[in-house]
Amino acid sequence: MTNRVGIVEVAMTPGVESKDYFLDQVFRVTKEVLDKAGLKRDDLGTVISASSDVFHGGVSCASSYYWDAGGAFLKNGSRQDGESLFAFIYAVMRILTGHFDTALVLGVCKGSENPDDDMLTHFFTDPFYQRQVGLNETVAAALQKREYMDSYGISDEQCAGVVVKNLENALGNPYAHVKKKVTVDDVLASQVVMDPLKAMECAPKSEGMIAMLLAKEDLAKKLTDKPVWFEGYGSSIDKFYLGDRDLLEGQLPNAAKRAYDAAGIKDPKKEIDVAEICEPYAFQELLWYEDLGFCDRGEGGKLLDSGATARNGEIPVNPSGGVLASNPYVTRGLYRLAEGFLQIRGQAGERQLDSKVNKALAHSTHGFAGQCHAVAIIGS
Amino acid sequence: MGRPVAIIGSAQTNHGKRFDVTYPELVKEAVDAVFEKTGISPDDIEGVVSGTMPSMMEGVALTHFYFAEVLRSVGKPILKTETCGSTGISLAFTGYYWVASGMADLILVVGSEKMNEGDSQATMTTVLEPFYQRSFIAGAPGVFSMQSQEWSVKFGIPEEKVRAAATRLSVDHHNDAFDNPHAHIKKRLTEEEVNTARIITYPVRLWDVCPNSDGACAMIFASEAMAKKLGLKAAWVKGIGYSGEEYWFGDSEKAIWQCAIDASRQAYDMAGIKNPRKELDVAEVYNPFTFQELLYYECFGFCDFGEACDLTLKGTFSREGELPCDPSGGTLCSNPIGATGLNRAAEAALQVTGQAGDHQIPGAKLSLAHAMGGVDQFNGVMILGSEK
Amino acid sequence: MKKDYNTMENVIRLPHKYAAGQTFARFYNGLKESKIYGTSCPACDKVFVPARSFCPSCLTNLSDWVEVSQEGEVVSWTYSNKEFFGMPGKPPVVIALIRLDGTDCDFLHLIGGINKDDPDTVKSSIKKGTRVRAAWNDDKIGHMLDIKCFEPVS
Repeated sequence: MTNRVGIVEVAMTPGVESKDYFLDQVFRVTKEVLDKAGLKRDDLGTVISASSDVFHGGVSCASSYYWDAGGAFLKNGSRQDGESLFAFIYAVMRILTGHFDTALVLGVCKGSENPDDDMLTHFFTDPFYQRQVGLNETVAAALQKREYMDSYGISDEQCAGVVVKNLENALGNPYAHVKKKVTVDDVLASQVVMDPLKAMECAPKSEGMIAMLLAKEDLAKKLTDKPVWFEGYGSSIDKFYLGDRDLLEGQLPNAAKRAYDAAGIKDPKKEIDVAEICEPYAFQELLWYEDLGFCDRGEGGKLLDSGATARNGEIPVNPSGGVLASNPYVTRGLYRLAEGFLQIRGQAGERQLDSKVNKALAHSTHGFAGQCHAVAIIGS
Repeated sequence: MGRPVAIIGSAQTNHGKRFDVTYPELVKEAVDAVFEKTGISPDDIEGVVSGTMPSMMEGVALTHFYFAEVLRSVGKPILKTETCGSTGISLAFTGYYWVASGMADLILVVGSEKMNEGDSQATMTTVLEPFYQRSFIAGAPGVFSMQSQEWSVKFGIPEEKVRAAATRLSVDHHNDAFDNPHAHIKKRLTEEEVNTARIITYPVRLWDVCPNSDGACAMIFASEAMAKKLGLKAAWVKGIGYSGEEYWFGDSEKAIWQCAIDASRQAYDMAGIKNPRKELDVAEVYNPFTFQELLYYECFGFCDFGEACDLTLKGTFSREGELPCDPSGGTLCSNPIGATGLNRAAEAALQVTGQAGDHQIPGAKLSLAHAMGGVDQFNGVMILGSEK
Repeated sequence: MKKDYNTMENVIRLPHKYAAGQTFARFYNGLKESKIYGTSCPACDKVFVPARSFCPSCLTNLSDWVEVSQEGEVVSWTYSNKEFFGMPGKPPVVIALIRLDGTDCDFLHLIGGINKDDPDTVKSSIKKGTRVRAAWNDDKIGHMLDIKCFEPVS
């Protein structure tokens, strides 16, 4: 068995709509990551992919489709559905067992081929109750935002501030989909989608093919000068019916605690140098600050206002622009991890943080109103 | 390599047309049963792996949310595995790796399907992309019929002999299913009935094909220390293997089916098996089609290529034979797709722990479980043994 | 979706007929009679609506049926004036989480009987804590929308 698993290389597509054929996109990132690491396909141990047949252009049995394009021909591979950080941790497990020296973690999602995300998330519902009342992810998020505002006095302006921060951060990110300088007023003036959510507070629908190469410790050190080490992971899932849940006390604190404990982190705000978190609806970034332990309950808006989560703040959040800048739904977790990886290696280009980055947190969520969360910690 | 891991309990629902329950209620049956059988507390489970066919099968996406409570996974980490028909065995692998890696000591794995609520063949057709293959492949039977033709022509096996061997399997398995309380289709068939049954896609006829079954299977994986602590009968994972071919059906030949050969060899190497027919006591082969089962015997090295029909007709692979295959009736008699591969592992585990009841192969100590997925694309094999 | 590059369009229609199981079947029958049923968990001392076959907290199979109050308080609500896939009716709609009296979970349904011109007019009628009551359709078929909506209790 090996002690540590390192991330060696990453390759990803930008989030903007591409006219390229799905399998060509998968092939390109697969080839790129292998080339960058100087690894031949034959030498690749295992391929674990993340995709979701529902976000997959109507092609079922997702891994069948991109199996050979993703380098897995005659290889021992597998697939995780819906959440790319699940694929990441499964690949880590396979290497830790000692069965494989390397693993390709492949995230696959082509937003431009799919109908509206809301049309697809409608099918997370059960057919008897919630589907009949029209529940989808945006409805759930709107209900959650209203509760958040009512309970803790979070303002629309604070939520808009997340959009301003993230879209501006994305200007330095060649992989982002939406990147621009906007003002709080721009956000507040955007169309009502599902009150109290405005259009600019909701994430776009983006492309997102990403390939990440992992290796066991000694091989990782050979394949790259600066491997980034897996340090901890936690995940947790909530109850099914929206009405059975407390939308402001979800499963993220649980997921985060598991990850922090595994990584030996006691004071996340101090010990984490950059946090990449999934905020498909702007207000959720504030709520996740609280759940991740960056501030107390109800103080998420204040934390944003203080500038602590800005690029040069105490705990920079989403220097990549986050999900508001690019939302390939299923693979957004791996994109968060990739940004953490690049920041630690000093390869984040224009958006490289001034402060030294040794430890990064990557968070992902999927399902209604943060129904399932996953948190990974990586370090230099 | 990796820590020793054992299956210490499993439970299956009765498979069939389950219109009496909703999908979560069906899953709950299997999960409740495995906890009742083993006496393990759900609170002690550290993580849950769940899986089912893609969302179009039942019209609910990301079913891990739908099942969160019945899987006893609320507040816990989950993984959601799906690899088409091989999902069941891939689920078992996920549970195995979770424990073998040292990241957990006790993991619950659940596979399920409720196919009778939808149109399963129409769903299968969406496995093929719309640019090229979708117009030509009418669900699963067409693919496997073509494979069977390719194989019998390649090895010069006369049509009548193939038919006879396939019929033998159909009659035997449907009969064996009477000794499996969970099986869906249990039937006393005559050879004539099988030979003259309605054609599905030639040469495949009605009784050569698996049914659409609703069902679920729950299984618990444990580390060595946990297995010892719990004191339950353990089926140790001795070897695993998996391989996948191209998405495009015509790209690789399917008669000498490389990914099936590779998957079994990986598993045999890990388990130290050199002569599978001799060393294995029982094999639960994924057999949705009788014709394909014959091919598996050859690809898994139970006999030489071209020999499977002769040996089948001799009874080598029957319950009384040298290597009993699918004494549970196999996938041919029950196919809740998301659970089926896991059922094979459950049956293989029951055999080596002496818990297979009326269909127990006496003295079984080493077993094989297998599942196939995609359009003849994936194969996964797991070897289980009574000794660590 | 018109694109400026070569595409192929594909629409998939798949039929599904869901087994309602005994619990939902009985719940739907209740709706047909203008009754809202829940089930109570003796172990957790909680009442869940719609009726459940098992308790989401302790997983006990539930068999104690309770006719729950048709009145309760708004917990949260959202408003949309734009058509979306699966929308329960024509826009504008107000979807809400409502805590029916005597129950221990929020009920997802619609708010009606108010001016829905825009979010501000809705806000003048509805907020967290507003008491609402079920209003029924004349024709009931055993569907969530047999309850037309919940209207503010004056």
